[in-house]
Amino acid sequence: MKVETNAGAVVTQVLSGEVWPPLSDRHAFRVDPDGRPFSLPGMGGVTLGVHCGDPATGYAGDHVEPGLSVRHRDPDANMALQFLTCVGNVVRVADGPAAGAEGFVIGQHAYVLVDLPEDRMQQVATGDGVTVFAVGQGLRLLEHPAIRVKNCSPDLVASMPGATLGDGRLEVHVAAVVPPEAVGAGSGMISEYANTDLMGAYAGLGDDLSLGLEGLRVGDLVALTDQDHSYGRGYREGHLTVGVISTGHCMLFGHGPGPSSLLSGPAEAFSVVVDQDANLGTFFAEGRS
Amino acid sequence: MTAGRLVANNLLGVVEHPSSGGHPYQVARSGESYVPVGDGGIVLGVDLGDGVFDHVADHAAPGVCLVHPDPAARASLTGLSCAGNLATVRSGGQAGATGVVIGKRGESGRVIVHFGDDVRAGLRPGDHVAVRAEGQGLALPEHPDVTVANLSPALLDRLPVRTGNGAVVVGVRCVLPSMLVGNGVGRPSVAWDIDLQVHADTAERWGAQELRLGDLVALSDVDARWNIGYRRGWTTVGIVVHGGSPLPGHGPGVTPILSGGPGTMVIDADARAHRGVTARVVEEVADARPGASR
Repeated sequence: MKVETNAGAVVTQVLSGEVWPPLSDRHAFRVDPDGRPFSLPGMGGVTLGVHCGDPATGYAGDHVEPGLSVRHRDPDANMALQFLTCVGNVVRVADGPAAGAEGFVIGQHAYVLVDLPEDRMQQVATGDGVTVFAVGQGLRLLEHPAIRVKNCSPDLVASMPGATLGDGRLEVHVAAVVPPEAVGAGSGMISEYANTDLMGAYAGLGDDLSLGLEGLRVGDLVALTDQDHSYGRGYREGHLTVGVISTGHCMLFGHGPGPSSLLSGPAEAFSVVVDQDANLGTFFAEGRS
Repeated sequence: MTAGRLVANNLLGVVEHPSSGGHPYQVARSGESYVPVGDGGIVLGVDLGDGVFDHVADHAAPGVCLVHPDPAARASLTGLSCAGNLATVRSGGQAGATGVVIGKRGESGRVIVHFGDDVRAGLRPGDHVAVRAEGQGLALPEHPDVTVANLSPALLDRLPVRTGNGAVVVGVRCVLPSMLVGNGVGRPSVAWDIDLQVHADTAERWGAQELRLGDLVALSDVDARWNIGYRRGWTTVGIVVHGGSPLPGHGPGVTPILSGGPGTMVIDADARAHRGVTARVVEEVADARPGASR
């Protein structure tokens, strides 16, 4: 993004976390939109075979978290890890056979989610430690004071397509524009933690559930219409939030593929360009390898 | 009006004390910091019939919130208690006083009980209150396509809900679109309320400026049979159980009571004359109980 920032002033902290196992209880089943029970993989652990650019929906899974799902063992340290880690931050595997492998953060979902090359991902197991180079909170776009930057590493902002336009607006590229009806679980939560589930993307279920979002891909940038994520997540007519799809398919009703929040402000501060290449895998991951 | 005989469960609730982290402030939509007042526990001076934006408060309910120290027991207390259930104080200065459950709140779970202000003033956090929980499983045999939740038969009889020929007719204060559904979406409808993302400065835009505590409201394109979510053509009706909130994604809270697909309910919205759960209705429900003394 051709935009002036205060990147020189933001501070990096070295954080640690571990790949966290999937969690369950003895009741096992949850219910889908039609009241049918399911028990499916998705959250936690090492989710193989799903990377930026791959479809977000169409899996036999629930809350599919691509790649590594990372937490800190201490609850307070975990919140710091979740708040301070930003999309695009570098993550290095610290333990186990994949030690030294590098990946990057694709979002938050009550876990920090990390994409790694598939061959290195195959070597990771739950309990392996990772090191997160957390940088980005405090980042500002100097010529766009109405837009708040949320959870973006300076590298991500530099890599995103878009620029400051002559009329003062910020051009942003997104793969999809999301209507406010789609916003599900995550509304009312803080914008530095977890993400916003999008409904209307239950591929294969009823037409009355669809909002046309079944084509979303992991890593897609999306524009959330009438959403203000400046100080938490909520509906606000005339505001716009740009996010990145960091989690995939859900069977749980009221949930779905989830964008982590990146930029938020009045809609008139943005110029939105719909661009199928607006995906982390296109402009960020490839540039890093 | 049930598919089988309803089972009642006597549960124990404990009057909540508000709690806070080590930091006093919450952050409002505006970005301003504020100290949340009225967010749980015993709240005085807020009553059924008050406007949802009348008070300088955050999620303030017209009554008392009950919790339980054990998280699993708290979840059951929340999930099984229904609007219209009788609550009897068992300890402290108000032992023997009765109130009526009007709804519940989500996250960790709270049951909201309406007591008169005189009773509230004599209660203390930690006092024990028994809830005669009854209502989950309630159904409308003539209307199997309308799902009932969180509602006691005694309260259903006194709400503007008409069953019989054709669709169920429900009187509400207003109808709001699904995009205003905030915190509570994606959560189980027996355990959470639905916060409406409506605020004093946007209420008129949505025709919700007359919204009052205890009102019934209808939410279009919302299905709350299990989890709460978007489904085109469906309607969910609920009781307004707490007032507005400065938090983004939060606002007046609605305990869902009825959900149905296209054609199953006729919604009769009356912004001026609507009466849902009023102080009088709550009194009638309490008086109708065998052995209830007030």
